[in-house]
Formats: sequence, structure tokens, C-alpha cells
Amino acid sequence: MRSKLFVLVMLVTLVLSACGGAAPTEKAPAAAVTEAPATVTEAPAAATEVPAAATEAPAEATEAPAAEAVELTLGSWRVDDVEAWDAILTAFKAEHPNITINFDPTNPPDYNATLRTQLETGTAPDLFFVRSFATGLELFEEGYVASLADLPGLKESFPAGALAPWSTAEGEPFAVPIAAVSHGIYYNQDIFDANGIAVPQTWEELMAVAQTLQDAGVIPFANGTKDAWDINEVVMMALIPNNIGGIEGRMAYLNGERCFNDADMVAAYTQIQNLAPYLPDDYTATSYYDSQQLFVQGVAAMMFDGSWSISAFEKDAPEFNWSVFAVPPAEGKDQYISFHMDAAIGMNPATKNAEAARTFLEWLESEAFAEAFGNGVPGFFPVSNNVPTLTNPVANEFLSFNNNAAGTDIRFVWEKLLDSPEGAPSTYTVMNDGVIAVLAGEQTPQEAADALQEALASWYEPAQNCK
Amino acid sequence: MAQRIKKFYQEQGIWILFILPALLVYLAFMAAPLFDSMRLSFYTGKGYTPTEFVGFQNYIDLFTNPIWRERFLGALKNTAIFFAIHMTVQNSLGLFFANLLSAEFKGRNFFRTVIFAPATLSVLVTGFLWTLILNPHWGAINQTLKAIGLDTWAKPWLGDKNLALPTISLTSVWQWVGMPTVLFLAGLLGISDEILEAARVDGASNWHIFWKIKLPLIKPVIGVVAILTFVDNFNAFDVIYAMAGAKGEPGYSTDLLATFFYRTGIAGEHPIGIPNMGMGAAIATITFVILMTGVLLWLYSSRANEDVA
Amino acid sequence: MSRIQKAFTYLALSIWSLIAIFPIWTLIINSFKPQKEIFSNPFGLPQNFTLEGYKAVWLKGNFGTYFLNTIYVTVISLALIVFFGSLAAYALAKWHSKTSTALYVFFIAGLMIPIRLGTIDLVRIMQMLSLQDTIWSLIPVYVAMGMPISIFILTAFVNTLPKEMFDATKVDGASEWRVYLQIVVPLLRPAIATVAIFNMMKIWNDFWFPLVFIRAEKSRTIALGVSLLFGQYRTDWTRALSTLSLAAIPILLLYILLSREFIKGLTAGAIKG
Repeated sequence: MRSKLFVLVMLVTLVLSACGGAAPTEKAPAAAVTEAPATVTEAPAAATEVPAAATEAPAEATEAPAAEAVELTLGSWRVDDVEAWDAILTAFKAEHPNITINFDPTNPPDYNATLRTQLETGTAPDLFFVRSFATGLELFEEGYVASLADLPGLKESFPAGALAPWSTAEGEPFAVPIAAVSHGIYYNQDIFDANGIAVPQTWEELMAVAQTLQDAGVIPFANGTKDAWDINEVVMMALIPNNIGGIEGRMAYLNGERCFNDADMVAAYTQIQNLAPYLPDDYTATSYYDSQQLFVQGVAAMMFDGSWSISAFEKDAPEFNWSVFAVPPAEGKDQYISFHMDAAIGMNPATKNAEAARTFLEWLESEAFAEAFGNGVPGFFPVSNNVPTLTNPVANEFLSFNNNAAGTDIRFVWEKLLDSPEGAPSTYTVMNDGVIAVLAGEQTPQEAADALQEALASWYEPAQNCK
Repeated sequence: MAQRIKKFYQEQGIWILFILPALLVYLAFMAAPLFDSMRLSFYTGKGYTPTEFVGFQNYIDLFTNPIWRERFLGALKNTAIFFAIHMTVQNSLGLFFANLLSAEFKGRNFFRTVIFAPATLSVLVTGFLWTLILNPHWGAINQTLKAIGLDTWAKPWLGDKNLALPTISLTSVWQWVGMPTVLFLAGLLGISDEILEAARVDGASNWHIFWKIKLPLIKPVIGVVAILTFVDNFNAFDVIYAMAGAKGEPGYSTDLLATFFYRTGIAGEHPIGIPNMGMGAAIATITFVILMTGVLLWLYSSRANEDVA
Repeated sequence: MSRIQKAFTYLALSIWSLIAIFPIWTLIINSFKPQKEIFSNPFGLPQNFTLEGYKAVWLKGNFGTYFLNTIYVTVISLALIVFFGSLAAYALAKWHSKTSTALYVFFIAGLMIPIRLGTIDLVRIMQMLSLQDTIWSLIPVYVAMGMPISIFILTAFVNTLPKEMFDATKVDGASEWRVYLQIVVPLLRPAIATVAIFNMMKIWNDFWFPLVFIRAEKSRTIALGVSLLFGQYRTDWTRALSTLSLAAIPILLLYILLSREFIKGLTAGAIKG
């Protein structure tokens, strides 16, 4: 009988060792260069383009002899742009036939957690998207993003303002900025025409438009609060620059020259309050995607949203004409645009192919990239000095805001204000909660602004001594 | 000495060999990693491997810092409600269905299959489906209510702070009711026909048979179901994450201990996303202590009951 | 059963069946409709039947590979869970000592901690074993994860078995191993079926461990492939619903196939006496 037991134990060991034993052979192809199916289909295309690329980029000739075929992975949270990125990376491969880069995105809600797991265990992609300010800086300080202080051409190719969100306080850059996003109000031109409405130039006109639409039985604004973040990022933070006077205004808050509950900040919350009657019924259960659907189906006439949604709206092919206008300032105030630094690409210091990765990062400075990216992913605006001509009309409409405005600025809380210490209230959350409470009528604009000031005063020195 | 070893082997050793495979896998791939991670609750720092030792500071903060305390107590309360809804609604429904399904009638295999079917689906699927069905603009529920004239009943189910948690709990009940049904069914089918027959001959009503005969006989199963409901729902995460996000929207009203842990220790708070695993581990450890206390109490009381019986 | 009882049984079960099936029905029929029809005709049969969603999803992901990977992982894990779990449960139920109680509690404790807490350590273990990026990295974790609930359920069932059954065979001088194989396993069939199905769903639908262990396309499981495609198609409902259907249909079919065994196991194995 005992022998049977031994057989059993042996069996268990066998099964376990079979799993283990199979591993190396399983593992080998995973690491192999030829693995990705995408490469197979792309290879011929790249091959035919090689001669052209070689004549276009003589600089590459110096690198070519040393280069061996390498394959890199580019991590990202942009699952929506897989096709566009495949095209961009094919364009890169045309210039650098030895370097294959695979775009490997993770869903946005899981991105931070998976990337960090991979970084801490040494399994992260060679290149990856880096978020701006606190999030990216933290990764850099922990040594998970390589310094790019010596990347040729970086400082010449980008304005200082574009590099700042991915640089240390001392100005050491660690990621190549690729995109900014803008914010505005999408609108249904057919509904506007049918109701004889012109694009509003002031906040007061916007409110009148909303009233007209509501009287006509149309939902004026599609926005809701179920997902919470969108009312904060695409509505509140798009309203703030107009109310506080753009970047100069924001700097005055950051320096303690103004308090976070001053009249201008209360005015921004008051505009949120103005919007409340014009949101859909049950806006509390309306998610960001629901809002987009309400707009695309022509049920709602307008929607506060970011420029990144252009391609989503185009994919849905609404049966009406649509465009976008800038969030109008209150009567007598200047127009500012919320133009936010959104994404940069950094390098994993642990990559085995640092040379190839840096070649790619340098390519991000080029006009070729700006062109391929700006037109491939409309609504993400290249931030390099060589701004290409964009072909997408709505994207151009967004860009035209910048030319007609007194200035542009990033989202209000991103710089410095996100750095609250552990156990202190998150500025972002306090603002988000306040906006939702004001919409629900649970707080007055003044109370919401007071809560913001109080939260910041608990840790942010300038807010403690503000005037 | 040799005698004693032999005796030990004959009485106990064999059992150890039986348990060994399970124990080894469990130790290596679950217990050790988890135990090692619980240690992190005494550290602080950013990321998943904090290094600065702080003793009990994370626990103290959790109970005394108003920011942490509010979230923690809120999540604890919501988790208790979430559990209570499953305990009462899901398990009574399960017992009810199991009782119906234990009888002989045509088509019962079909119903047995159907009731458990939703449990096979991923929460990614069921969460998306139910948000669709509960959608205020084009969801089936509100459209139906409006069609039959009950407009005032058409609510923003997932947007209302008072409704969101019960609503999500009920969708979870919908998905998992098959579990208690199956367990109860197995218990009810184990009751001998002779006992039930004898009761019927004595003229006992179905009601009486259910309460006085069946229920006491499946008491062990009820215990198993209760304890599984307890541990499953105190760790529930997926359904909230799929339907209300990692923050338990609206306004933390559906935030459970597991989403609180995930947000703090794994994902980090939006939009910064820098996790604090030390605090995360503290939250997980407290959850563990709560659950362990509950389970040990149950084990103790069921042992005590056995002795009485 | 009296006629009223029967009518009540059918009525109650039919209502719940409708509630149970309705969302799944909505999912599948809507995946065959173009996006606009999903909104205009959400519950009816498709008027403009389309396979565009499935075509797009099928071309985009390697569902054949995902499916095979998931089958391997699930089947191997389940076999080990059931085998290890029932062995241990039998021992824990029959062996009365302080050690066994402690071991039992130790196993059950695993039900009470979110497994994500141990992620980093697990990734490191997989690297050490060079299992990273292969489907084999998932199996030991799933087997370990399956132990607590399996041991809990199986031990509870062994405890309900009448003691005389074991004693009778013991007198014959049968070894514990034979008692396990010839008596315990057949009697435990319903519980084993339950444990297998519980664990099957968890393993089949888990996407956290594939997400952190696996990058290579050829090692992806259905749950991981689907969650990535779903993120990509979130705004394109035809494709989103097709993606989700592709996740749901195989496991539903598998369950329906197994459910006959499952129910047979429940009924046949039920202990009369």
C-alpha cells in the first residue's frame, strides 16, 4: 500500500517538474526577436521602404553598421490608438530598419499598477509613456526612468514649458514630451442652426444658448458625474483659466499671492453651479461614455470634452455637422485655453537596448514624428518647436483657440498642488468633490472654494500665508 | 524510540503525507508571499516595497488621522452592508430555489443549469451589462418603468449615493445566487427519502417539513454557506471596480475595504497613481483580522454545537 | 407534488430564469447589431444583422491561442486543485489533533486576504523559476489560490459522511490511501464537482495575474486578451459586445457541457442515509 503512496508522490513531483521543465523551452520563443505577429506582416512593407529611408536619412548610415536587429516594447495607456501607433512605429522602422518597436498598451485604470509592478520587478517595457508632474517625477526619483540630460537635441527641439512637466526642479529632463491636449465645448452645428444660435463669445451668451436649447427640448450639455473625473478635468479645469487669468493667475495662487477661495475661484465654482440646470436628467448616473453617446446621437447639443475625443467622435460618424468652440470667458474677462501637457515617453534604465531606445527618443524630436503623430492621432498636439501642419479640421479648430486667446495654461492642480503628503487631503479630490457637491446643491460655490483653501492650507505653505 | 516513530507514522504520518502536496503549493505560492507582504504594514514609503520602518504608525493613522479614518470607516460600513445584503437576499433566494429544485419535476435540470449560469461569467462582462441595463438614458430598467407609467420609480440607480450600493449588491446577488443554491441543493438531496416520507405519513405540511425537518438537517451546509458568504463579500472587489470604479463612486458610497486597499496599496489615488503599499498592507491586515475573528468564532461555536449534539 | 405546488414552482423558477438569462441574451443579440441599432432597438432580434464586430475582434486578437492557453491553464490547475484539495481535506477531517486543527485554520486563513497584496513577491518567484511570460506561471498560483476554498468545502463534506463507512473498511485492513480512492472520492463527487466549477470560473475569468505575469501575445489568456480589446473598443459597442461575447460564450458552453456531470454528481453522489 505504501508503494502506491510513493507512486502518488512521484506523480505529483512529476507533474510539478513537468510544469517547471517545460518552462525554458516555452520561454525561449517569448524572448526571441521573431515573435510578434505584427512584425511578420509589416516586414515586407518596411523592406520596400528601406532604400527611400536610406536616402532620406544619411545620418543613419553612421549607425547602421554597428546596429543589430533589436526589438523594443513601448508601454502606454492609450489602448484606443493601437492602429495609429502601429503606423507611427512603422514609419520609424522605415528610417531605422534594425529597430522594431512593439506598441503594448494597458487599459488606463490598470496602467499605473502594472507599470509599477513591472518596474519594481525588472520586467517593464524598454520605453513607456510617462505621466506629467508628480507621477512621472516620482518614478524618476525612484530610479525607474532614465535621465535624458544628455539626449542630443532635446532642449533645442522643445519649448521649456513643454519640458518642464517631465523635468526635475533643477531642470533635468527624463522624458520626451510628445503630446498636449486641449479642452473645449463640442457642439452640434445642425441643432445650433435649427435654433438660430451662433457660437457664444461670453459665458453669459453660453448660458442664454443653453436656455434656448432647453426650451427647444434639447439637452444643452451632455456631461455627467458618474465617473467623477470628467466633470473635474474637462469641465472645471477648463473653466478655471478664464476665471483666474491663465498662467499668471495660477502662479499667483501657487506663490501665495492669492488665496484659493478668492473671488475668481468662487466665480469658477459659480459657473459650475450655472451649468447644473442644463445637464441631462440623471446626470449623476451619466458616465463619460454615456455623455459622448448622448452627444453623438444628437440628444444633447453640446459637450465639454478634451481634444482627444475627436477620433472617438469621428469613429461614431454622427449624422450631423459638429465642431468645437473655446470655453467662453465671463463678460469683460480675457480668453484663456486649458492646454494641458499630457504625455511623454521615457526610457527604462534597465533596458538592454539603451542605444536603440535613445535612437527612438531622438526620433521623437523630429518633424517626421510630429507629423505622423499629430495627424495619426488627431486631438493630441505635438509640442515640439517644429509644429507640423495638421490635416484634421477639428484639431485645427482646437489649435486656433490658442492663437486667438490671451494665453494657454495646463490644468490647475497638476503643478505642485498634487504633491500633498500622505495623510493630507488630495487637492484633486477636494476640488472634484466640491464640484459635484455644488452641482447637487449640497454646497455653495463659496463653501466649495473654502474647502479647497482649507485643504491646501493643511500642508501647502503658500496657502497658509496667502493674502 | 523507533517504536514511537513508527507509531507516530502509523497514526499521524500518513495524514501529513496526505496534506503535504496541498500544503507545499499553498505555502510557496500563497501563504509566504502574503505573509511577507503583511510585514509591509509596518513600513512606509512610496511604491510596492516600502523600506522605512514605522512600527504601528500606519495602523494609528488609519484610526486617528481624519482623512484615513473617514475612508476606512466608510469602507468598513459599506462592506458590512454589502455582506448583509448577500447574507439575507442571496442566501434566502438560494435556499428557496434549492428547495424548489430538490423536488422531482420535469425540466428541473434546465432550471438548475440556468440559475448557476450567470456565475460563470466574468465580472467584466456582467458589470458592463448591468451598467448598460441600469443606464438612465437607454437602459432596459428605466425604459420599462417609464413604459408602464412608473416614471417616478426610474431612478439614477448608480448615481444616487443611497441607491448605488444596494443596486450593485443586488446585481452581485443576481450573479452569485447559484452558489448557495448549489450548496443547499447538495445538502437537501442528501436528506433521506424515508425521513421525509415518514413525516408526510404523519401528516406534516410542506411548510412544517421545510422548517422542522429539512432545515435542521442541512445545518452544516448553512454554516458553510454563511462562512463563504462572509469571506467572499468582505473581500469583494471586482463588481465595484467594474461598476463604480476604484473610488467607489458616487462619492465613496460604494467604496469597500477591498477597493480601499486596491486604491491605496496597488493603484494609488487618481490622478497621481503613486501607491502606498505600507498603508495598503495595513488595510489588508485589518480586514484579515476582522475576518479571522469572525471565522474563528464560527468554528468555535460550531464545535461547541457538535459537542452538545 | 400538488398541482398548485407545481404551478408555483414553475412560475417562480421561470421568472428567475428570465432574469438570469435576460442580460446574457441582450449581450449576444446586440453584438450582431450595428451601433445605432443597439440604441434604437436594444431588445429585439437584429434587423440589420452584422458580423462586423466579431470579424474585427477576431482579426485583432489571436483568440485560438488565447482559448487554448486558457484551457491548458484551467484544466491543469483544476486537476491539481481537486487532487491535492481532496487528499488534504480527507486527512484534515479524519485526523483529530492540535496540528490538524492548526493546519485547517491556516488553510482557511487564505480565504481572507486579498491575493493582490502578494503580487510583487509572486512576480519575483516566477522570475526566479523562469516562468515569467509563460502560461505555466499561472498554474501554481491558481492551485494555491484554490486550496483554501476547496479544503473548506471538501472538509465540510467529509465531515457529513457517516463515520461507519470508514470504520467498516478499516476493519478490512484497507490502507488510508485505498479508503481515499475507493470510498472517499466516489462519495465526494458532488462536492468535487462543486469545487471544480467554483474554481473553474475564478481561473477562467481571472485577468489580474495574466496582466502582471504575461506580456507575450502567445501566452495571453482569454480574460487578458478580452480586457485589452474591450478597453480598445469601449466606445464601439458592436465590437465591445462582440469582445465580451467571445469571453462569455466558451465558458458558458463549457459550463453547460459540464453541468450535466455537475448535476449528475450532485444527485448520484448524494448520500442517502
